[in-house]
Amino acid sequence: MAVIELMAEEIVKTPLTSQDKPDVLRELVQILMDAGRIDNFDSVLSAVQEREDQMSTGLEGGIAVPHAKSASVDSLKMAIGIAPAGIDFNALDGNPTKLFFLLVAPPDKAGPHVQALAEIAKLAQSKAFCRALINAENAAEVVELMRGD
Amino acid sequence: MSTANKILVYIDGTEQSVTAAQYAICLASDSRAELLALYVINTRAMEDLLKAQIFLQNEQVEYERDMEADAERYLNYVNELALKKGISISKHSARGSVHKEIDKLVKDEGVDLLVMGELSRIRSRRDEFYDESERAMRSVPCSVLIVKDEDAVYDRYEALV
Repeated sequence: MAVIELMAEEIVKTPLTSQDKPDVLRELVQILMDAGRIDNFDSVLSAVQEREDQMSTGLEGGIAVPHAKSASVDSLKMAIGIAPAGIDFNALDGNPTKLFFLLVAPPDKAGPHVQALAEIAKLAQSKAFCRALINAENAAEVVELMRGD
Repeated sequence: MSTANKILVYIDGTEQSVTAAQYAICLASDSRAELLALYVINTRAMEDLLKAQIFLQNEQVEYERDMEADAERYLNYVNELALKKGISISKHSARGSVHKEIDKLVKDEGVDLLVMGELSRIRSRRDEFYDESERAMRSVPCSVLIVKDEDAVYDRYEALV
């Protein structure tokens, strides 16, 4: 399952309203909830928080990829959140994080999960593309950019 | 002329690859070809995720274990699909880079038709280069069949006696 095939306006939120890490995780999971992609908010949030507790998924360059396995989902789910002003996410370089990709996958679909994470890692290498996403005016523009339309 | 003597279907845990397996079973039945199924545990991608610091060391080990279990589960499932139609499948799992392992098995086993699920949409030539299925499709020396239309394939598989 390619990331591009998961794209839809309802899984994108820009700008995020959260100001700190715990809130941004909640807000990202809420995007999935509001979009009807999950029906167990607490279970998914707990799985994502548990992974973050081990080490932040905030990478260099203002990108974070919070992810987790959860039996609450039956297929790979993704939410994208954008915070143009940046949020302290305990990133590796200490800089504020602006672009968040949340991925939640069922435990028995490791292959597609790894593939999607690898695609996001690849996207994150393009600073110009990430900048374009961060500067997008709305969810529709993010979807357009991700799909390459 | 038969379609192929030795067919390899690539399974990656997606619905599309299961559809490809159903189609490959129909082809094997029609042409009496030998059928092989391959699942590749993409250790290359996991190493890249570790390097990018998206994965922790223990997470890499855990996902690798999950993918081993996936390989067994999906290959067994495809085997059951084949057995229901009186076809036997030779199950193969490998570890490494997906396109390289597909290419290797095609060459080692003398496969003359590779069957794969529908390819993902790509955004650019760069994506095309990085997409493992695309790379396999381009690198194998045999013919490649990309299976589409899940519903039609399901009907065809179900109709197979």
